[in-house]
Amino acid sequence: MQRVIMHLDMDSYFASVEQQALPSLRGKPIGVTGRPTERSIVVAASREAKRYGVRTGMPVWEALKACPDLLLVSGNPERYLSVTKRFIEILKEYTALLEVYSIDEVFMDVTQEAPKRGGAVRMAEEIRGRFHEELGEYITSTIGIAAGKTFAKLIGARNKPNGIGRLDPEEIPELLASTRVGDVWGIGRRIEARLDRVGIRTLHELGHASEQFLKREFGVYGLHLHEIGQGKDSTPLVPYTEVPAPKSVGHSKSLPPELRDISLALIVLRDLCDKAARRMRRLGYMGRTVHCGFRVGSIGPHHGKQTTLALPANDGETIYEACLTVLDKISVKPEKVSNIGVSIGNLVPTEKTLCSLLETDQRRERLNAAVDRIRDQYGDRSIRLGTSLLVRPIPQHVGGFFMASDDLEVG
Amino acid sequence: MCTNMLTSVNESIDALVIYRRGAPHPLLHAFRWKNRQYDVTATYLIHREKEGENVCLVYSVGCCRDTYVLRLDVGRGRWTLEALETGD
Repeated sequence: MQRVIMHLDMDSYFASVEQQALPSLRGKPIGVTGRPTERSIVVAASREAKRYGVRTGMPVWEALKACPDLLLVSGNPERYLSVTKRFIEILKEYTALLEVYSIDEVFMDVTQEAPKRGGAVRMAEEIRGRFHEELGEYITSTIGIAAGKTFAKLIGARNKPNGIGRLDPEEIPELLASTRVGDVWGIGRRIEARLDRVGIRTLHELGHASEQFLKREFGVYGLHLHEIGQGKDSTPLVPYTEVPAPKSVGHSKSLPPELRDISLALIVLRDLCDKAARRMRRLGYMGRTVHCGFRVGSIGPHHGKQTTLALPANDGETIYEACLTVLDKISVKPEKVSNIGVSIGNLVPTEKTLCSLLETDQRRERLNAAVDRIRDQYGDRSIRLGTSLLVRPIPQHVGGFFMASDDLEVG
Repeated sequence: MCTNMLTSVNESIDALVIYRRGAPHPLLHAFRWKNRQYDVTATYLIHREKEGENVCLVYSVGCCRDTYVLRLDVGRGRWTLEALETGD
């Protein structure tokens, strides 16, 4: 039996939620930003702003050049997360085979449920009707329906905004011929450029390339590319009930100019280590590999290296010390950085690690447990490192609306 | 360039709410501020915010042509008028 996969993508999500909450923003070009300054970036543009060419990730100064009447709105991540949880609750009534791909994108396998609800298109219409009624008329979505995730996403993108697109088997050849490989989910610029060098520009051409060649060039991923070029896609859906274990936990921050001095950036890094460590403890993991890196200038290259700890850790101080070791190893020693981050990999469940017998480690463990209890009860900002008071508090989500996947827990 | 069209208020208020069976949140029917009753004519958005164990519901509602943002501290049962925007 052929699968029926739906890809649901919220339209101009953050901007639509703001327009829903504040009617005076409706019908106007708005850009949601971390901080409404010219140095910030647009993290979401309303559909009205998109008509002027304002795009996600565009620096504010550039967006204002494209659309001088652009209204900048400070984003509210908790508001978006709350609305996401609401629409996921609605979707769970339709199928349990639901993959939460991001804060505004969901895949659903409705192979079993669609026939009972008058077909996939009718089901999609019903879902959109529920959204209209329960979330608000300004929060709209586009739903793509196909036999696989890649094609559901592709056909959805062609029906944006506020549409429903279904890909029937007889339409596949036309779609393959008219779709550039770079437009396909998962095919990045580098792969596109490599394919371009051998004359493969459309999905049709990808499907006619030899499987051996693609495997030789791209490994196992080449087989997937070949399958996509044939109009097939067996990529499994990962239901929210079976979320795989995290491979790494990390945080990074784009720094406003006043915090770019390396000494201040290190204080921010100390906070990021603390945040990552707390997330690991909450998820029940410890990590051994610590990656730390920074960026100099807004479009400069990323400089980063990693180190391996003797024993797995989920303590902010230990991770920060490892970061300092890593930064020492990097040959570039800038006076100012624009972005700094830490990521901890090689994760192992805490219960599978050995307890340290050292009194200092045990004391630190007890301290972390006490701090976690305080934060669980009174919030993350209730207790913080003294060093973090040395830098002016920076907005929670400067430079992007990072949502940790565990923030989206929907079970 | 920008931006915030809301005027901050942050004053404690009394609210009249309806707890409807099956509804995810209590519905705000009216509120009293500065000795005047405001009847809610439209609910634009309700979202949940959490700080530790403390849960708040934030209501964005319309009363005639004005928009009001109100916060319900669920644990304490306290309502605050956070901000407003007049429709003039």
